[in-house]
Amino acid sequence: MRIGSKLRKIVGLVGASAISMIGLASCGSSSSASGTTTASATPATTVGFIMVGSRSDYGYNQAVYVASQTVAKDMSNVKVITADNIPENDSVTQTMQAMVNSGAKIIFATSYGYFPYAEKFAVSHPSITVLHQGGYLAGKFPPNFGTYWGEAFEPVSLGGMAAGSVTKSNKLGFVYAFPIPQTIQNIDAFELGALSVNPNAKTYVVNTSNWCDPLKQKEAATALLSQGVDVLTQHQDCQATVIGAAKAAGAYVVGYHYDASSLDPSGWLTGSVWNWAPVYTNIIKTVLSGHFAGSIYNTNWVGTFATNNNPLTLAPFGPAVTSTMSTKILAEEAKLKSGSSVFTGPIYCQDGSVLVPAGVTPTYAQINNFSCLVKGVVGTLPQS
Amino acid sequence: MNGIEQSLIGGVEGGTAILLPSLGELIGELSGVINLGTEGCMLAGALGAYAVAVTTGSALLGILGGIAAGAFFGLIHSYLSVYRKADQLASGLVVWFLALGLTSVFGTGYVNDSITPLTIISIPGLSKIPWIGPILFKHDILVYLSYALVVALVVILKKTRLGLLLRATGERPEVVGVAGNRPALVQLIAVTLGAGLAGIGGAQLSVGYVGNWFNDMTSGYGFIAVAVVLFASWKPARVMVGAYLFGVVLAASSVLQAHGIAVNQYLLDSLPYLATLIALIAVSKKGGSNAPEALTRALTDTT
Amino acid sequence: MSIFSPLAPKQDPPLDDLVNHEVEKKFSWSNLYRSSNMTFLLILTYIGSFFLFGLVALARGANPFGVFGAMLQSSVLNVGSIEQVILRAVPISLAALAVAVPARAGLVNVGGEGQLIMGAVAATGIGVAIGASVPGPIAWVAMAVAGAIAGAIWAGISGVLRTKMGANEAVTTLLMNFVANDVMLYLIYQPWRDKFSSGQPQSQPLAQSAQLPALFGSQLNLGVVIALVLAVVTWYLIRKSHWGFALRVVGGNQEAARRAGLPINKLLISSMLVGGSLAGLGGMLNLAGLEYQLVPGITASFGYVAFLASWLGRHDPIKVVVASLVFSAIALSGNGIQLGFGLDGSIVDVLLALIVMAPLFLSKTRKAAAK
Repeated sequence: MRIGSKLRKIVGLVGASAISMIGLASCGSSSSASGTTTASATPATTVGFIMVGSRSDYGYNQAVYVASQTVAKDMSNVKVITADNIPENDSVTQTMQAMVNSGAKIIFATSYGYFPYAEKFAVSHPSITVLHQGGYLAGKFPPNFGTYWGEAFEPVSLGGMAAGSVTKSNKLGFVYAFPIPQTIQNIDAFELGALSVNPNAKTYVVNTSNWCDPLKQKEAATALLSQGVDVLTQHQDCQATVIGAAKAAGAYVVGYHYDASSLDPSGWLTGSVWNWAPVYTNIIKTVLSGHFAGSIYNTNWVGTFATNNNPLTLAPFGPAVTSTMSTKILAEEAKLKSGSSVFTGPIYCQDGSVLVPAGVTPTYAQINNFSCLVKGVVGTLPQS
Repeated sequence: MNGIEQSLIGGVEGGTAILLPSLGELIGELSGVINLGTEGCMLAGALGAYAVAVTTGSALLGILGGIAAGAFFGLIHSYLSVYRKADQLASGLVVWFLALGLTSVFGTGYVNDSITPLTIISIPGLSKIPWIGPILFKHDILVYLSYALVVALVVILKKTRLGLLLRATGERPEVVGVAGNRPALVQLIAVTLGAGLAGIGGAQLSVGYVGNWFNDMTSGYGFIAVAVVLFASWKPARVMVGAYLFGVVLAASSVLQAHGIAVNQYLLDSLPYLATLIALIAVSKKGGSNAPEALTRALTDTT
Repeated sequence: MSIFSPLAPKQDPPLDDLVNHEVEKKFSWSNLYRSSNMTFLLILTYIGSFFLFGLVALARGANPFGVFGAMLQSSVLNVGSIEQVILRAVPISLAALAVAVPARAGLVNVGGEGQLIMGAVAATGIGVAIGASVPGPIAWVAMAVAGAIAGAIWAGISGVLRTKMGANEAVTTLLMNFVANDVMLYLIYQPWRDKFSSGQPQSQPLAQSAQLPALFGSQLNLGVVIALVLAVVTWYLIRKSHWGFALRVVGGNQEAARRAGLPINKLLISSMLVGGSLAGLGGMLNLAGLEYQLVPGITASFGYVAFLASWLGRHDPIKVVVASLVFSAIALSGNGIQLGFGLDGSIVDVLLALIVMAPLFLSKTRKAAAK
């Protein structure tokens, strides 16, 4: 059999070289084992960061990754390990387990949907400190678990001001992932910011039902742009696609999560960008000091403008924002930092009902319960 | 511009990324080989095209990279299933996983690299026709290529010896063999070529429509392409209809939302699959089928 | 002859010839030589798979030996990871058995993914509705029954389409996967979305009592035991029962089975129903034991991995379960590679593909040897 003998020859060749490799493998694994012992001799604490998307998504995950690398550089007693593209299902438990196997003592689970898995893992691993980014625990906290976040809507409203000031069509586009409290607040704040400088500004919303699906984002952006929208913003993890679509259509962009002005230097107005490194550093220091349990990080910690520790900050302005406007925006930022609120009433929902009565300034807790889109937003939330 | 027209434009634009792999899958299935790895070939094509476009700065050259990458995985599938007589379904899934893994590993460096995407070409005159113009004649070059391919396939299959050879191979490979042709080689070429088309479909996504590379960015388009061929019961013109049907449905939810209309995407999404099932049942019941017989045989082999 | 119906056999071999040869084959030295030769070839190609995988790692600048070490470390070298491997293998192995059972009757079930999803969907529906108000065990049984029925219906549809309409089941089961996924997403984006929690598209979680209990303080849960029992039952059904024998006859030669008076259509549909219920139970166990609530990516392509596992295990229940465990371990080992070498964890999909490619590569040799 001609083919048979040829096959056997090929297989033999491949097999022989593979066997020699396996032989080498045994030496390789023993040397790597000795590598781990030397590593454990140094008293560095291993800290793991888990991301749902790509660490180079020009967005949410890149902000996490960059901050984790800052931590690695600045804290000599910390060893940082990272894992990206980990989906929001039980896979994240397996990744946390793998991190623990690699010696991790502190784990940052940085995606919203990791919440139930992170909490469960904390309960079953009392010696590991687990932090969840963006979640909210209503009940009692395990002593080794905490959540942290920043009031995103504050800088987002400032981005809305920039958008409202440059739009010619008075139509702004907002591509968002899911109708969750965070995105609803952001849409509302964006529209309110725009209204404050342009009473005719309307925000058109489209959801993509995904934290990062470039195809859906492209479809959403295209649909908005052909509606006449001339400023796009978005709330997904990755932002390259929306920015690319805006750039191609000659529209402006307000960024979110990460300073992506390099993708479209002329169309970039401003944006909200995460600066997580100080938060991570403080949390890690608290854990290392042995006083995590009972600390502010053993709760739902939220940074705000009012307390001057909001990890979400305003990005630099692009050339399209006039100096008059940037002065106005920075003045508004200063006002928010001295205790004023984006949501001071009167504020109305789309259907005309009162969301916040006149003269009332809602608390952060109240804002987190907002579930309606404000007047001026076009589009409806998927009903449940 | 109204919502229906917008949905149709989006349907053609996104539908092209389904149409090209569907035409490729059609060629392969006509020769008697189903390729569940079409999704993988698309993924490879998307990355191949993107990588070449980043390196050379030319999205057009990128398309060639997409063809090569898609065809490479098609070659693996056809070699295994034709020359090694492997189970076609298993081999297809293997190719999918292989491409999924390789593109994730080798694509990391390309995530969000910037490229100049394919330019939109408005056909003079035609693009001015109300409705039809913007829907059909204001797209990137790959959309026009897909029109040409549909016409070419119809002609080749109906009028040429090549088309006859392809069909004959799909129906009765033994007979083709007796007549002095090499049915296995025909199948190998057909599947590899088809995978090349799937690669172009991937390129349409990465360097055309979206202008980015992301892990697993084809998100099921390759499987839709397989469904479209079944929907069309192996007829090129119907493949076009099916691909656009899926494309319109995928585009519609964003468009409807931008017009302030709330929809549940997923009910909408399931419609084309249900339509495909119904189409399958209809042709099956009629009894008169044009399923290539070699394909039928391959699909009923459980070993 | 209608579309996609199997070709008529050229002649009718006697009934005892129809039974699977690998089981019935009498011992002979030449057979042993032939099969050991095959095993040898197979081992060589498997080694080739690992070799190629090592090359891929090398191409990305990682030391292949270190990569293999990290993979072992993160999958089977400590208790926590072994538990995770077993947990993930539960849905995969049951969905793989859902492929193996119909395969005995000559049917191709590519629909494990959809059947898993529907099992989880039905279990969620029942579990959320009654989970908080009835004792745990009652909720478990109700969810299991619902999951099994849902999976069986989903596969059964393809069985009926095949027997009554002549539509090929490989194709219809594949299509049904996408419909199932859309049904699930529809439910968790709207009617079932958890209004009391984050607003993310996910169902309400099961009440504590409705969740399957952990075993002896480990990360394992009762679902692992149930899956094991189901695997043994399936093995018995296929290998020892009359039904299993009849399936094999139908799978071997339908025409002869008809002459022998076997109710072919009933057997075909029953194989799909049993298979689908196994996958449905897999979806239910994954939900009630691990996820506790319906989330978008709940199956994570387990159904397709399962198809390959069943194929790799040659549809033999025991081998299929082993293959599922191996695939589960490979999937998990991606974490180790990512943490240790910074490569994308999906690199393990390459190894999974290469491992299945080995026997695919030898298909022709094996088919020639079987003659």
